[in-house]
Amino acid sequence: MTLSVLTAIQESHTEEVIAHVPMEVTLFFTVILVGMIVTLALEEKIHAKKSVIAGTYALICLFLGAVFEILPFGPVIVGGHEIHMPIYIPAIDWGVIAIILGSSLFVDATSKSGLFTWIAIKLTKSSRGDLFNLLIFYGLMTVVFSAVLNNVTAMIIVGSLTAVSLNKLGQNDKLLGFLVIEGLLTNIGGLLTLISSVPNIIIGTAAGINFVEFFISASPYVVVVTALTLVIGMTRFKIKRLSTQADRDTAKQLVDEFDENDGVESQGFFWFGVAMLVLFILTIATTSVLPFIRDLGMGYVALLFAGIMLLKFKSTADRFYQALDWDLLGFFAGLFIVINVMEHAQVLAMIGQGVEQILALGPQLGSAAVLVAAAFFSSVTDNIPLAAMLANIFSELDNVSMSMWWSVVFGANLGGNITPIGSASTLVAVTIIHKHNLHLSFAGFVKIALPFALIQILIAALYVVFFL
Amino acid sequence: MTKIDQFESVFKSAAKTSFQYEKFELGSVLIVTDVNVSQSEEILSNFKQQLQHCSDGRTQWVVLSGGQSQNISDLITDVEKRAPDLICTYRYLHEDAKWQNSLGDHTVALTQQTTPPVLILPNAADAENLLDFNSVMAMTDHLTGDHRLVNMAATFGRLDGKLHLVNVEDEMIFERYMQVIGKIPEIDTDTAREKILNQLFKEAKDYMISCREILKEHKPELDITETVLLGHHLREYRRLVETHNVDLLVMHTKDEDQLAMHGLAYPLAVELKQTPLLML
Repeated sequence: MTLSVLTAIQESHTEEVIAHVPMEVTLFFTVILVGMIVTLALEEKIHAKKSVIAGTYALICLFLGAVFEILPFGPVIVGGHEIHMPIYIPAIDWGVIAIILGSSLFVDATSKSGLFTWIAIKLTKSSRGDLFNLLIFYGLMTVVFSAVLNNVTAMIIVGSLTAVSLNKLGQNDKLLGFLVIEGLLTNIGGLLTLISSVPNIIIGTAAGINFVEFFISASPYVVVVTALTLVIGMTRFKIKRLSTQADRDTAKQLVDEFDENDGVESQGFFWFGVAMLVLFILTIATTSVLPFIRDLGMGYVALLFAGIMLLKFKSTADRFYQALDWDLLGFFAGLFIVINVMEHAQVLAMIGQGVEQILALGPQLGSAAVLVAAAFFSSVTDNIPLAAMLANIFSELDNVSMSMWWSVVFGANLGGNITPIGSASTLVAVTIIHKHNLHLSFAGFVKIALPFALIQILIAALYVVFFL
Repeated sequence: MTKIDQFESVFKSAAKTSFQYEKFELGSVLIVTDVNVSQSEEILSNFKQQLQHCSDGRTQWVVLSGGQSQNISDLITDVEKRAPDLICTYRYLHEDAKWQNSLGDHTVALTQQTTPPVLILPNAADAENLLDFNSVMAMTDHLTGDHRLVNMAATFGRLDGKLHLVNVEDEMIFERYMQVIGKIPEIDTDTAREKILNQLFKEAKDYMISCREILKEHKPELDITETVLLGHHLREYRRLVETHNVDLLVMHTKDEDQLAMHGLAYPLAVELKQTPLLML
């Protein structure tokens, strides 16, 4: 609620300054925005963290915004009270930050119960060590973990287990194929729920899509494309059932040596973790209808559950704070500030005019064009700036259909499957690949992943156009 | 990407090594003595009786008595020609016991230059008496995955005897690494000490539990004890052998990288003069 009040106040300030922003200033800030996007795309090359890149651009933008007098300095009114706060504080979408911060802490603390590793090892044993079963189980686990936790955590858990279990089975030659397929599936699973990926959170929040609506709309696509990705993956990487009974017996014996209870230090905490995870999903899913909670929002729910889990680790909670992805959080803060300044500099309004040209193509062709453009853009740079920018632009436009919002969601997520830098989870997959001394270049990844991505994007375009 | 490593560590820890039982087939046994034929026959008879639970009617018993193969190279050639599954002998073979502070050159040569396990009794007199392998100890500094050592120890002990599985982590090596870790600011020394020690112990204990579970299926009357500790190798082994009144100590003696006797085997062989040894 606070955020919407702040946003409303900022909008009123924006309206005041709209007429006073000369075109050359808008173009100047557009160059800065492009510069940030290009720098983010070159993140790996220039060895700079996202937070440093976005933070630097945010500081520059704020300074230039002040120089060009486009920023609405002055007090803000919160709940009827006039409050003085720095201009960059209301610029940040604290709701999104709270969701990411809370769910990261919650997932990290819950993982200490051994729950996720228990599930992962149980599934490994259920596969009886047969590669065919193993790929299906790991694929489904990747999708579900991506949906429930987040795609980076899912890739870390499933990817590291894949490396260990294939090594135990003496099937290291299949590791590359497994990891690539899992990497691709993280971005499919990332489409399943509102909290699965950051673009979902940003777009879902801006478009007013609640958790249940999101799940119902996205799940048919996720089911079909997951199955298709697994089938194509098996063919592409020649992953077959073990042929002889002796091989099957040996493989079963080897995976039976995994002890799913090894990481479970306390049965009590394990079951507490199970209960909290179920409760967390249910509460997040029903946030929009729960009395009182709906006003506090999903960020509060995430922080609440993180807080409850941290009670178990009250004397060592600082370790969880240290383990937080501060780079990601810093990146968001910087990014939101840059986008806010761009809004005041009329850059978003200018891009919005371009987007309106696409919208003019009609709901079907327009949605497909937005999806493909979003996918392409997300493949070469981070999908979060795209999502944040389009969320701002679409919010300002009147004729944005729901299929347009979905196009951004699908495009932003699936673009991550074209290149290894397209999403954080595919980057994790490539990192695990390199950690195990397997060679996979940027071009090599694209060569393998592009056929998968094209099929996924084509089906997504058809799905959005005809079903959403 | 420290989290990748964290989860890999969790899964590696969960991927345990289970004991694999394998019955040791005693197809042929070569008894090497330095006494005359009639004394050798008596020794043969004793060995047959001592090893009756792990041999059967098809086991071939061959004696290489005193007059044969008195120099080491002939002895090795004779042994290789017969290719036995087990060699039985004693310390100071062909040598005067009172001057010896080791196993004796011939006995050492048998342990190092032949492939089968060598059962070594303290001296010829012991070979002439009937020994009872009631309390058998398998000892090493890294038991996990050492199926052969455990299988051998379980084979040569009495079916209703005691089997002591012992894993002693070397305190000196551990402290050396801890000293190095103590100089690396990125690694918390206390945490490293606690976690490394816990993991070392856990791996050995998990494997021992697996040994117990599987051996119980094959030798239900065997009484198995487990010991995992950090300490001075030689001192701890000697103490454990004395504490448990060990009748047979089973250990590795061959080192792939060298001709000399494997790490601790030599000092133990020197120290534990009165304990029968099965050297693998």
